[in-house]
Amino acid sequence: MGAVRLTGVRKLFGGLEVIRGVDLAVEAGELVVFVGPSGCGKSTLLRMIAGLEDVDYGTVEIAGQDVTEAAPARRGVAMVFQNYALYPHMTAFDNLAYGLRRAGVGRAEVDRRVQETATLLQISELLPRKPKAMSGGQRQRVAIGRAIIRKPQVFLFDEPLSNLDAALRVEMRSQIARLHQELQATMIFVTHDQVEAMTLADRIVVLNAGQVEQIGTPREVYHAPANLFVAGFIGSPAMNLLPATLGANGITLGSGRVLGGRAGRGEAVTLGVRPDRLTPADGDRAHLTGRTTLIEHLGDETIVHLQPDAGPKLTMKLKGEVAARLGDRIGVHFDIEGTRLFGADGRSMADDRA
Amino acid sequence: MNDKRRASGRTLRMLPYHALMLAISAVFLLPFYWMTISAFKNNAEIFANPVTWFPDPVRWSNIGALLTRDDFPFVRQFMNSVFYAGTVSVLVVVSCSLAAYAFGCLRWRGRNLVFGLTVCALLMPAIVTFLPIYLGWSRLGLTGTYWPLITPFLFGDAFFIFMLRQFFMGVPRELMDAARLDGASEFRIWWQIVLPQVRTALVIVGLFALVYTWNEFFMPLIYLQDRQDFPLSVGLFTFQSQRAAEWSVSMTGALLTALPMVVLFLLTQRLFQRGLSSTGLK
Repeated sequence: MGAVRLTGVRKLFGGLEVIRGVDLAVEAGELVVFVGPSGCGKSTLLRMIAGLEDVDYGTVEIAGQDVTEAAPARRGVAMVFQNYALYPHMTAFDNLAYGLRRAGVGRAEVDRRVQETATLLQISELLPRKPKAMSGGQRQRVAIGRAIIRKPQVFLFDEPLSNLDAALRVEMRSQIARLHQELQATMIFVTHDQVEAMTLADRIVVLNAGQVEQIGTPREVYHAPANLFVAGFIGSPAMNLLPATLGANGITLGSGRVLGGRAGRGEAVTLGVRPDRLTPADGDRAHLTGRTTLIEHLGDETIVHLQPDAGPKLTMKLKGEVAARLGDRIGVHFDIEGTRLFGADGRSMADDRA
Repeated sequence: MNDKRRASGRTLRMLPYHALMLAISAVFLLPFYWMTISAFKNNAEIFANPVTWFPDPVRWSNIGALLTRDDFPFVRQFMNSVFYAGTVSVLVVVSCSLAAYAFGCLRWRGRNLVFGLTVCALLMPAIVTFLPIYLGWSRLGLTGTYWPLITPFLFGDAFFIFMLRQFFMGVPRELMDAARLDGASEFRIWWQIVLPQVRTALVIVGLFALVYTWNEFFMPLIYLQDRQDFPLSVGLFTFQSQRAAEWSVSMTGALLTALPMVVLFLLTQRLFQRGLSSTGLK
């Protein structure tokens, strides 16, 4: 399995720079997930690795070879597309065999590898069928089979689960994770679904406006976001971000309430706190109070949206059912251990723990 | 009960509309009907007063007479038409689908400009360019043959390229990307992946080209000189202009010339409609 290295990769569409200098090293056998909002360039970057988009500046290396100018088929990559991209006029067998035939593999070997792949993915009964006679999940399994059969250096997945319903998505997600374990393959996976990113990835690459905002393990990007963008993007509900100052007695909210923790000389900062680090509180324990504007009962947890007396809205994630009603006044306590600090430039402050 | 009354009310309201449509259809069909009945009459019956709306007797012998005339080699000209229209039809499908693939499925610098110029060719009346092109063929010594009539279609036809491009643009880009990753060349992608997705469009374009060429009159008239080489469109015209008085033979020839296209149209009516609606002509 091959490592992937991108160095100073840039892409321009007309005058618009959609990929703005990406440096990235994916280790052999690693599963890396590109995540970011729509239009951030994650699919374009994946297509550049595949050779389906030209690289305007920089280099792409796969398994130590510079493949920047190489044709897609010569890069040793296979790709699974969002809409499956199975050839509609061919049976599943022919879809799986097409790439091997193009590579000049003999008939007996093609048959053997198709059967082997079909057994691995439990799609043997689908082999004589055309895509229109298959369900979405079956098509996606055939599409994954088409990628596996070529034994590529790198697997590329472009939002492969987006078109599936919720239950099937969970099933396919675990199947991809299992394949990664079994094949020990290098995989790059594009998604806008954070749950997919958090559950599948060895490392997550957070992209925004064609740039890498942070590269790290799921725990790192969740617990130690590098900047305000990552803090606001990773996690659902998103991290609460409040204006604050570092006073002599510690972090001070806009209302003047001192939370304690890191002291300073009046520097303006943004305080980031995950919704599960906020708890209801009364009296002196409450750092601020506000009215509930929306309550979402999810069964095992309740999401409470709150408009404080001053400052931006807050979201709390509370365990179990909560008795609060819309319009109630609630006091909120901040768990200072679970907060992060961001400087005026939006970057996480050195030793950003409050 | 209410539903029934509402339905009958609607039928009554639609009655004038359908009556008008029928009347307009009759106006269009009348010449064709007149040609058909005249093909089975003799000259006296055609010009009889009062008009007879059905031939009596039906003169089937007109067909035999037409097929055996020396001054109107109908069978030979019919085969010329089949060759001319058939070849052009196949060439148009191949060349235009290649061009449409380049314009609709590939990204390359200057694509829109070249496509714009191609569409501009649609706006240029053939009569404007005919003289220099004729002189060119004449210098090559190829007038009097089918080369000048067929060869241009090796390079596509602006209208059909435009039409096919619309269909090609509807083929998902991921299919072609998947084929590229599978190691297929662009030619193979065109042939094995894209063409099967636009089969209907190819049939439509082939049919359009067949009908246009079958009825094409001007170009064969200019380039061909020998009666034996004429397609039916020109052969019928020259016969009519030389034997103006022989209306029944003329009408039999006209009927047999039009018949293949009418039958073809009836068999493929739906495809024609789809083709017209996809080009914005309908």
